[in-house]
Amino acid sequence: MNIIVCVKQVPSSNEVRLDPVRKTIIRDSSKAVANPFDVTAVEAAVQIREKHGGTVTALSMGIPATEKLLRDEIARGADKAVLLTDRVFAGADTLATSYTLAKAVNTLGGADLILCGKMATDGDTAQIGPELSAWLDVPCVTDVIEIKETDDRHIVCVRNTDAGTETVKVELPAVITVVKNLTIPRLPSIAGIRKSLDAEVRLVKAAELGADPSRIGLDGSPTQVIRTFPQEKKGEAVKIEADKAAAAVMELWEEL
Amino acid sequence: MYDLIQSADKIGAEYLRDESRSTGHAEYAVFAKNEEDVLNALRFANEKDLNVTVQGGRTGLAGAAVPYGGLILNLSQMDRITGMELQDGKYILYAQPGVVLLKLRKMIASRKLDTGLFDESSLGIYNRFFTDKEQFFPTDPTETSATVGGMAACNASGARSYRYGAMRRHVSSVRMFLMDGRCVNVKRGEAFANGLKASLPCTDGSSVDFTLPSYKMPEVKNASGYYAAPDMDLIDLLIGSDGTLGVIVELGLILDPLPEAVWGSACLFEREKDALSFVDKVRGEKNIASLEYFDKGALEILRQQKANGSAFASLPDVPKRIESIVYAELHCRDEEEALGSLLRIGEIAELAGGNEKDTWVARNQSDLDGLMFFRHAVPESVNMNIDKLRKTQPSLTKMGTDMSVPDDKLFDVMEMYRRDIEKTGVRSAIWGHIGNNHLHVNLLPSSTEEAGRVKEMFKEWAKSVTSMGGAVSAEHGVGKLKASFLEIMYGPEHIEEMRSLKRTFDPEWKLGCGNLFSKGEEEKA
Ligand SMILES: Cc1cc2nc3c(=O)[nH]c(=O)nc-3n(C[C@H](O)[C@H](O)[C@H](O)COP(=O)(O)OP(=O)(O)OC[C@H]3O[C@@H](n4cnc5c(N)ncnc54)[C@H](O)[C@@H]3O)c2cc1C
Repeated sequence: MNIIVCVKQVPSSNEVRLDPVRKTIIRDSSKAVANPFDVTAVEAAVQIREKHGGTVTALSMGIPATEKLLRDEIARGADKAVLLTDRVFAGADTLATSYTLAKAVNTLGGADLILCGKMATDGDTAQIGPELSAWLDVPCVTDVIEIKETDDRHIVCVRNTDAGTETVKVELPAVITVVKNLTIPRLPSIAGIRKSLDAEVRLVKAAELGADPSRIGLDGSPTQVIRTFPQEKKGEAVKIEADKAAAAVMELWEEL
Repeated sequence: MYDLIQSADKIGAEYLRDESRSTGHAEYAVFAKNEEDVLNALRFANEKDLNVTVQGGRTGLAGAAVPYGGLILNLSQMDRITGMELQDGKYILYAQPGVVLLKLRKMIASRKLDTGLFDESSLGIYNRFFTDKEQFFPTDPTETSATVGGMAACNASGARSYRYGAMRRHVSSVRMFLMDGRCVNVKRGEAFANGLKASLPCTDGSSVDFTLPSYKMPEVKNASGYYAAPDMDLIDLLIGSDGTLGVIVELGLILDPLPEAVWGSACLFEREKDALSFVDKVRGEKNIASLEYFDKGALEILRQQKANGSAFASLPDVPKRIESIVYAELHCRDEEEALGSLLRIGEIAELAGGNEKDTWVARNQSDLDGLMFFRHAVPESVNMNIDKLRKTQPSLTKMGTDMSVPDDKLFDVMEMYRRDIEKTGVRSAIWGHIGNNHLHVNLLPSSTEEAGRVKEMFKEWAKSVTSMGGAVSAEHGVGKLKASFLEIMYGPEHIEEMRSLKRTFDPEWKLGCGNLFSKGEEEKA
């Protein structure tokens, strides 16, 4: 089975540090990591390959430095990696990103299964998977918590819904998006890292995708971000001694 | 003046225990919030003629914070950062004793300090700290609810001490109240012994004059008894004094710049002897900050915990064929250097009989957190096991060793452990700081009869380890549980020297009673 996993580079923590004097956000680009949901998706793909054979390709659109993270995915078990990197991709919102990824999937000759993380920890939109499936005109299953079985033509998975869970069988090719604890991603081994050092990460530019220039990067992005700011944490935990719990809870109740 | 002093039966029974699971008794308890509360507590104890046991986070494993009658002086609420300094290019954080390690780490990593008590100069340093290279506090006794006061009192170490040394090296000043209310405020590099003669100045102009014990400390990782050496810096005596000389009320903590690349790698071996040979060969690798071991008993307990679901469900699976794991943490200038070290570690693992495929590597924080969780899950699981046993047999406690030996005795000591454990037939789990030949051998007796046999075995080990040039307690401190080992290690004459040193600090013998050694005559309890 030919599996493509979409991987995004995100900042390593959600905590934003503000310079106390200048009040600007301190960015530390050395601390970028692969979106944790995507790391789970790679592990899920590797497990499917271990059962059914085939190849796992990690695909990302990002700055050239993203190559390092893709190599890390190879160390974790992916067979190949492709990085879409070009200045004209810059400023893409989810629509332009999913369009670019869809073009890449087609350029790579298509896939039987495309896995995405449910969402990325920086933008939290959860839009890429569904949009990608729309561009490719294949079914999409979001919020997958378990992959039950796969064969050459189908995948059966369990997904979260507001009401509970749902077991779905879909025809391949399909896009599925996975939750973070679908499975526990394995750590890379030294052998895997050695292999990843020599592996080729294919770099692809916009021209190679045959993409419509008005649909990629900033030009292809209808979304406009007006302002960003760190969320302020409010409130503090109250410690209650066990033997005084009842009285303390009543007191809190009154206060509220 | 004494309104903070409560009757001991008003506070939770947990304050009569520490993580050694042994239990004591007390009449009164104080949760001090500031220095004045500490002084009042000491005054009260003197008036009422009470023993005083100082407590931090009660995470100690040698019963040192378990009260021995009298007054519990708990410092966990004295937990603020009081200032900052820059000395020789290093940041110093001044901390009250109750600051817990977890909070300290979070504050340093996020650079969010509570600056309420800072003066102008500290605030200036803080501003610089904020935009400077990331810093960290290297001492890491795994249990993050330990307090810095407790860590200094028992000279805690932990995994990274392989590279950074124990707590002692990272303390620049100690402010301590003596039992009579006098205060010593020592900065590193300011007060030295003259040979074994020493005089420690107090802030009121008086001094404590004493003679240091004359033993030669073993050249291994060591937290057994008072630190003593000719011409030593006297701050080193206060660190590691196990709550017996005075109450630490403030510490200067030295921060280090965080290395650019912190990577972890666990090498899995099918045979213990391969793991030992790996350790022996890998010691030459210069970027290793910690070298930790987990044996088959420890891995089996983890497997069980994991199978039971619980908080450990997310632990990685260790294949059944694996008998030992050696974890190495790399602290490097940059990723390139780290990669070089990592690949060499892989080669050494293969030379020792391992396989590069049987390794787990963490190259980012979330993977490292996973490996840390794994490391901490081992002692935690064993403790949970003991708690379960104690429900039916309350007299059982965890039985673990804390002994270290010189490098060339690693194979010998392991052979001795294996041979003797097999003879007792008691279930065991071995883990710990193998880089320093410092393994915690833990036994899980299922009856008091088995526990008795284990006790005898530990005594024999204390003798053998001493004759190998090792230490009976390498990091947990002697506390109450290992006092008899200290006597084996140093002999009665040197114990007497320690006693007379203590008497100069605490003539009425009130502080930390039962820790390190008995009073000699009949001790009140
Ligand atoms: C799961 C687990 C793993 C551990 N791993 C390690 C390890 O790897 N390395 C290691 O070194 N330790 C380890 N420990 C032991 C423990 O965390 C340390 O010994 C710790 O330093 C004790 O700190 P505490 O605040 O809990 O002190 P407590 O247990 O409260 O007290 C310890 C001693 O210090 C004295 N004391 C405390 N505060 C003061 C003060 N302000 N002034 C004077 N005396 C004081 C007490 O009187 C007592 O003698 C581990 C513990 C656990 C539970």
